Amino acid sequence: MGLSGIRIRRRSGRRRRLSGRTVIPILLVALLIGGCSAGSGRVTDVGATGGTRVEGGTATMALPPAAGPNWIFPIGAPGYLASYNGALQGLLYPPLYQPVRSGGKLTMDNPRNLAEPPRYGDGDTTVTVTLKRGCTWSDGTPVTTGDVKFWFDLIKDNKKEWGGYSPGLLPDNVKRFETVDDRTFRLRLVRAYNPAWFTANQLGQNIVPLPRHAWNPRNESPRKAFARLIRHAKRLSAFATDPLWKTVSGPWTIDRWSTSGQVSLVPNRHYTGPDKPHLDRVVFKPFTTADSEFNVLRSGGVDYGYIPPSVMAQAGRFKELGYRVDPWEGWAITYIVLNLNHPTAGPLLRQTYLRRALQYLIDQRSLARVVWHGTSAPTRGPVPDSLLARDPYPYDPARARRLLAAHGWRERGGALRCVRPGAGADACGRGIGAGRRLKLSLLSQSGSTETSNQMQEIKSSYDRAGIALDIRQQPLNTVLGTTVPCRRTEPLCSAWELGFFGTAGSWYFPPAPSGEQLFATGAPSNMGNWSDPRADELIKATEYSGDPAAMRRYGEYVARQVPVLWTPNPAYQVSVIRNDLRGIDQNPTLTLAPQDWYFVKDAKGRR
Amino acid sequence: MIRFLAQRTAQAAVVLLLVSVIVFVLLHQLPGGPARAILGPRATPQAVEHFDHQQGYDLSLPLQYVHYLGRLLTGDLGESYKLNQTVTALLADRLPKTLVLTGLSIALAAVLAVPLGVLQAVRRGGIADHLLTGVAFLAYATPVFFLGLVLILVFSQRLQLFPAEAPQADTVGGILSAPSALVLPVVTLALGIVAAFSRYTRSAVLDNLSEDYVRTARAKGQSNARIMARHVLRNALIPLAGLLGLYLPTLFSGALVVESMFNYPGMGLLFWNAAQGSDFPVLLGVTLLVGVATVLGSLLTDIAYAALDPRIRSVS
Repeated sequence: MGLSGIRIRRRSGRRRRLSGRTVIPILLVALLIGGCSAGSGRVTDVGATGGTRVEGGTATMALPPAAGPNWIFPIGAPGYLASYNGALQGLLYPPLYQPVRSGGKLTMDNPRNLAEPPRYGDGDTTVTVTLKRGCTWSDGTPVTTGDVKFWFDLIKDNKKEWGGYSPGLLPDNVKRFETVDDRTFRLRLVRAYNPAWFTANQLGQNIVPLPRHAWNPRNESPRKAFARLIRHAKRLSAFATDPLWKTVSGPWTIDRWSTSGQVSLVPNRHYTGPDKPHLDRVVFKPFTTADSEFNVLRSGGVDYGYIPPSVMAQAGRFKELGYRVDPWEGWAITYIVLNLNHPTAGPLLRQTYLRRALQYLIDQRSLARVVWHGTSAPTRGPVPDSLLARDPYPYDPARARRLLAAHGWRERGGALRCVRPGAGADACGRGIGAGRRLKLSLLSQSGSTETSNQMQEIKSSYDRAGIALDIRQQPLNTVLGTTVPCRRTEPLCSAWELGFFGTAGSWYFPPAPSGEQLFATGAPSNMGNWSDPRADELIKATEYSGDPAAMRRYGEYVARQVPVLWTPNPAYQVSVIRNDLRGIDQNPTLTLAPQDWYFVKDAKGRR
Repeated sequence: MIRFLAQRTAQAAVVLLLVSVIVFVLLHQLPGGPARAILGPRATPQAVEHFDHQQGYDLSLPLQYVHYLGRLLTGDLGESYKLNQTVTALLADRLPKTLVLTGLSIALAAVLAVPLGVLQAVRRGGIADHLLTGVAFLAYATPVFFLGLVLILVFSQRLQLFPAEAPQADTVGGILSAPSALVLPVVTLALGIVAAFSRYTRSAVLDNLSEDYVRTARAKGQSNARIMARHVLRNALIPLAGLLGLYLPTLFSGALVVESMFNYPGMGLLFWNAAQGSDFPVLLGVTLLVGVATVLGSLLTDIAYAALDPRIRSVS
């Protein structure tokens, strides 16, 4: 018998079995898929409010996509200053002063601070700081001014290796560090500073007492000690076991730190601060992508996660599963950068009336509501809203058209062209020739549906006004690598005209939202090469003068000049939190305080 | 045979060198360079300059490549700018994870695809053949990300049978100790391979069934099972062995999607994140490793062909 014979025989046999063995699995699968779903999928029966606090338990928080904490040493090396690294370091080695939200504002008067409020003297050229009584390291040794001086000496002698170094700021602006006693030190500054600014942007977040007795027991020179500490900080796989990192001053200590970035913290049993942890353990879980986090969140794999704004429509589903949805708003602004030094677009972008017209054409309300599904907020300018009474250039296409027409632009065939060249008050402006078309290109970050849609909407709005806008999308890092401060003659300066890298906010302010790093001439983050002597003067006033109105004057002035085009400010993340996990305050400066978190149970004792 | 091996190895070395040159040049064409991408928007020009100097980016491109090659010869692949680990440590950490995923997927695919292919060939034109052909085309045409999503929705979120997340352990032992967490990623990666392999097997078995030696064996009175096992299958599996080697890059790209979907930090994802973050040393290290794997896969395929089929050996 040939093989075809086998086939025929087997086929007939299979026909007989179809009614038996095959049908049962098919039915089982159909039953499973059809309706036999295992449980409701709810993660908790407790509502978003109420319940009784219970001590203990483990909370798992999802870290941002592709974010693996990888730096433990509180002096961040360049490239390791990511917010999640800083947030975790702050739980082990808290800074002297931490900003806190109070009544809708940020203040440095935080009960968690390790020091009493600073005292300024000698015409604001000295600042004296006294550490709070009773602060100790986890091995029982008191936290002293020697530990603060240890930090200061390390950054002073190794400032180029410190990622947070900015020329002219710490440690350059400190003439001398004076130890008054074990708990008090004095900084002699190179000039008088605005106390509020200095406390917020220099003392705050920067200064971190380090355990000198444990980290430099042989009193090595700052350079030697720094090099040794960096060597330890580069052994990621040993973070949980290296004795060096066991001496902490914060409320938490390391339990596990995997090389892929999963970090597990347990309470520091010897913590002397006022905010002792309630949980037994907190786990920070890295995720490869936002999609994988979303899948795990929906399956109940994390207690505190996030969803992309595009799935805000599913917020109700998460509420049904026992979560609450809470956008985490950052202390940030979001904007489109304008390259004022671009060889051809620069002359256009240097015209104040033109920048104002471009701003008038951005419909922030619609963008926030429709594109961002309510997870972003319209802004009033390139400074925090609290500094401005209103948006000086709200969406008003008619006004934009009038402004452009008044400066010699006429629409021909749907495109605006300059008909009155020259530098006069009613002309297009210096460097803009007759017949020049109003055309710009935007380099925007890719990977976000909301950002893409926002840019398309802005393009459409500009198009209706006769302004052509070409949009190119590139990965975030390519955009960051391209939209850099540049001189007109540099080839890179021709590579971009407008830039956007603000899917999760373009710029996170220091606690005092001054502009010395953003809008001052030559500032490192002044990507668009904005330069305005009056703005520089006002920025200096925010740093140096004690006038409380200086910040508002600076804010109002730069908003009127439109150095960048502001867009709605997206939430840092749209958080999704289990209903029975409480005590979470989403700090706009992106710090974490899991020591405040706790679980609750309902009246029946269920979680 | 030795001459054949020497020839192929020399060719492989040249290919690898070319791959490293092309990748090196292409990476350095990225606008802006890595400094800004690594240091972030707050970096000062001095910090950018310091970084470029430290990393040797202020040297000419040929000189940078020569330095890179020199380090490579001593086994130094450099250090990641972003992950605070050496590239060698990263590869040692991530490669086993990807190997577990792809190895299990290939094993599952082979176990399923060969019998299915044989069944289809034996019952050519029958219901089973048509049904399995349809399923294979469907599986082949389904993008990995879609298939993974469907599996997660059904088996993790709806039925809650398997976790939506791959094992998170750091060691191979730890990963294998969570078999239920491996089910969805392995099945997602394997299904497309099953479809491809079963089609190849079917085609190869059909070709062999019509060969003269099968008729001869049948004429000699050998049983069908013996003909299938000793003659048809052995010959039919030769192209499949070749296919395995050539499938390495495809598996790598498939693993990238599966790794990102199931939160599995393997090689694919390491490469993806390095590309997003302009982490040049990691990009170069992974590309080189994949190049080696591809060339090695191709080399092993040739060797396997030569070993299994004397005609190829004699031609070479």
